[in-house]
Amino acid sequence: MQTESPPPGSSTPRKLIDGSLIFITLIAVIAGVAVWIQKGSARFWEIFAHETWFTIALTPKILAGVFIASSLPFLISRERIQALIGPDSGLRGLAIATLAGVIIPGGPSVTFPLTIGLMTAGADLGAGVALVSGWVLIGLNRTLIWELSFLPPEVVALRVALSLPAPIIMGWAVRRFMNRGAQ
Amino acid sequence: MNILIGTLLLWGLALITLRRMTRQAKGELPDVFARTRTTMAFMIPRVFVGLVGAGFMAELLPVDQIEQYFGEGSGFYGIILATALGAITPGGPFVAFAIGAACLKAGAGLPPLIAYITAWSVMNLNRAFAYELPLMGRQFLLLRSAVSLPLPLILGGLMLLF
Repeated sequence: MQTESPPPGSSTPRKLIDGSLIFITLIAVIAGVAVWIQKGSARFWEIFAHETWFTIALTPKILAGVFIASSLPFLISRERIQALIGPDSGLRGLAIATLAGVIIPGGPSVTFPLTIGLMTAGADLGAGVALVSGWVLIGLNRTLIWELSFLPPEVVALRVALSLPAPIIMGWAVRRFMNRGAQ
Repeated sequence: MNILIGTLLLWGLALITLRRMTRQAKGELPDVFARTRTTMAFMIPRVFVGLVGAGFMAELLPVDQIEQYFGEGSGFYGIILATALGAITPGGPFVAFAIGAACLKAGAGLPPLIAYITAWSVMNLNRAFAYELPLMGRQFLLLRSAVSLPLPLILGGLMLLF
C-alpha cells in the first residue's frame, strides 16, 4: 500500500495525525479564541479567510517542490549525494550545502521539503542544518529582493559578510553533537 | 506577486525534473507520484493549521510598541531585547525589514538592528511554528535552534565593538 511508504525525509513512516499536528492545532485554537475575544469575530474570520487563501495560493508551489524532492532520490544516486553532503563530507560538504541553501529560490514551503528530499537521499543532519541556515541567513532571493529594498546596501553587505561563516559553523556543531550521541 | 514568480520558477524546475525522470527512471514515476501524494496529504493540513495559528498569534503581538525598545546606546541589553523581538516578529520578510528600516530611521543603532534581523532570520517562531516543526520534526528544529541562538548576540556584540 502506498500509505505504508514513508514520505521523503523520514526513515520511519509518518502518521497523518501526530503529536506535532495536535500541538500546532492546539496553539492555533487557543490563539484563535484569544483573537475572537480581544478583537471580535469579524477580525477572527478576516484572518482565517486570509490564511486560508494564502494556503490555497501556496499549494501549487508546494506541489512542485514536493515533486522535485520526491524525484531527487531517483535522479541522483545516494552514493553521490552522500559523497557531496553526507556525514563524512567534511567542511567542503557543509559549504556545498550552505551554497545550495543560498541559491534555492523558494520560501519555507519549498526549502524544507527539498531539505527533506536531500536528507532522504543521503545528506546528514549537519548538512541539512547548514542548508537551512544558509537559506535563512543569506538566501539570495530574500536578500536581493526584500532586504535591499528596505535597508541601506552597506548595512545589508555588513550583515551578510558577518553571517557568511555561520551556516558552516552551525552544521559543524550539529555534526559534532550527533557524532557524540552515536558513540 | 512574489508567490507567482516563485511558483512559475518551481514549476519550470519540476517540468525539467519530470523530463529527466521520464528519460532516466521512467519505471519509478508511479512511485514518485505516490510519494508526492502522500507528502502533500501530510503537508497541506500542517501548513494550513500553521498559517492560521501564526496569523492569530501575529494579531495578538503588540507590534506598535517594538520601536521604542531599540534605543541608541541601549548596549547589550538592547541587543538581547532586539534578539527576542526578532524571534517573535511575525509575518514575511516585508514586516521584519520594514520594522528594521523604520527603527533605523527613528535613530536605532546598528548593533540592535543587525541582532534583530539576524534573530528574525535564524529563529523566526512564526516560520518554526508554521513550517519547520510540522515538516522537519522536533529534533531538527531543536538542534538548529540551539546552534543558531548565539548568532544574533554574537553579531550584535561584534557590531558594538566597531
